Amino acid sequence: MKNKKVYYVIAPLIILMIWAILSNLKIISPLFLSTPQAVFSEIIDLFVSGEIIPDILFTLYRTFLGFIIACLIGIPIGLLMGYSDRIYYSLEFVVEFFRSIPATALFPIFLLFFGIGDQSKIALTAWTAGLVLIVHSMYGVHLGKELRIKSAKTMRMSGFVLFQKIIFPEALPQIFSGMRIAVSLSLVIVIVTEMFIGTNVGLGHRIIDAQLIYRISEMYAAILITGVLGFLINKGFIFTEKRVVHWKGK
Amino acid sequence: MAMIEVENLSKEFSQPKNEIKTLKVLDNISFQVKDGEFIAIFGPNGCGKTTLLNILSGIEKSTSGRALINQKNPTKSKVGFVFQNYNESMLPWRTVSGNIELALEIQGINEKEKNQIVGKLLKKVGLFEHKDKYFYELSGGMKQLTAICRAFAYNPELLLMDEPFSSLDYSTSRRMELELLDIWKETKKTTLFVSHDIDEAIFLADKVIVLSQRPAKIKGVVEVKLPRPRKLDILSSKDFFDIRNKILRLFEYEK
Repeated sequence: MKNKKVYYVIAPLIILMIWAILSNLKIISPLFLSTPQAVFSEIIDLFVSGEIIPDILFTLYRTFLGFIIACLIGIPIGLLMGYSDRIYYSLEFVVEFFRSIPATALFPIFLLFFGIGDQSKIALTAWTAGLVLIVHSMYGVHLGKELRIKSAKTMRMSGFVLFQKIIFPEALPQIFSGMRIAVSLSLVIVIVTEMFIGTNVGLGHRIIDAQLIYRISEMYAAILITGVLGFLINKGFIFTEKRVVHWKGK
Repeated sequence: MAMIEVENLSKEFSQPKNEIKTLKVLDNISFQVKDGEFIAIFGPNGCGKTTLLNILSGIEKSTSGRALINQKNPTKSKVGFVFQNYNESMLPWRTVSGNIELALEIQGINEKEKNQIVGKLLKKVGLFEHKDKYFYELSGGMKQLTAICRAFAYNPELLLMDEPFSSLDYSTSRRMELELLDIWKETKKTTLFVSHDIDEAIFLADKVIVLSQRPAKIKGVVEVKLPRPRKLDILSSKDFFDIRNKILRLFEYEK
């Protein structure tokens, strides 16, 4: 398709236009919706004053620490479940059950165990992302081609060598999809938990604080910054994914 | 002593929906193969050819009878296997040379020797310039050539090939047959080549073992006394036709 980039900007421009009209003509009250120009100048102010930088860094730190812990625990468990039927049948119900509980419903328990500081936020993030990674890593092994394993077995490969040379690389594309979903989910959990309690810094805190004291354009500014952050993390992951698991879908 | 001895080999599968009746796939198969022979196994689709190869490769067990490779149980011998579906048997995450190296690294062969073996094979089949390409970047014919190189690099006692060219187009499979014979003649690896293409079977083999419909019995063994090295023009020779007719006649009696 020619002019692909033109299509890329059409929808955002339309949304921006509707927003500008609704807010500037005060069709929606400024108490609920700021004008785009006010929000963008607020964004510039937040960066020029440097006020928003600690919020971004703390949110990123919580997101990635939780995510990394989730990878370190979730991926090995998922791979083991995929590899061994015994482990699979032992854990399948447990994993499915915990996955069915909305993560945020568990936050009070995490507060109880880990306190109101960073630990509970990071632990809940790791829990939620970890469950996603378990399931994806497990499917990665299950979706592997049987013939590849059969072919390796004719060469008398078994045990760890079979796992390392065949099963693990075969599961990697699925693991990467899982990581991409997990990292987005981590950001969601961090933002939500930052809104609640026990922190003075973080994008979630900035958003809820601005809303509480009716600094509406600052609230929109912080939301937009969070959105861009999520977008960049996702794009960064897609970029890495294409390079690491280049054979995916081929 | 024969290199492969198959004696009264039978295989039955239990059927999940039918507890009393089992599905008989191989029925009392016996044959012998001498060291360095190229044997084609020809028979209708679904007759049990693949099961026979699986047993000889040691990944499946027979129900009765026995198969020996160099006087050993197949599980204790070194067998190279080339599958029809190269996309699912080879490793897309590795390069062409990486795929062939797999067969060498699991045997603990050192870097220098590995490069030597891989380089030599790839030059032989004309894939050397593609050695650093990823597997999925190759055409079907090149992929299967890589699989064949991997099997030869493994240096097996016995080479098993399960309809390796049947998903390639006509001219590519003819070319592959020539390439295969070209690599084969250097090492004279004992080879069992399963095919449902009668011309392919005759063109490649020293002997064609003809199997019946399932459960597979041996209908006959036809010697192919055509000179080597073989060129494609023998496909239209009178000797070729005579052998072809002999095999076809074996099938006529089935009705």
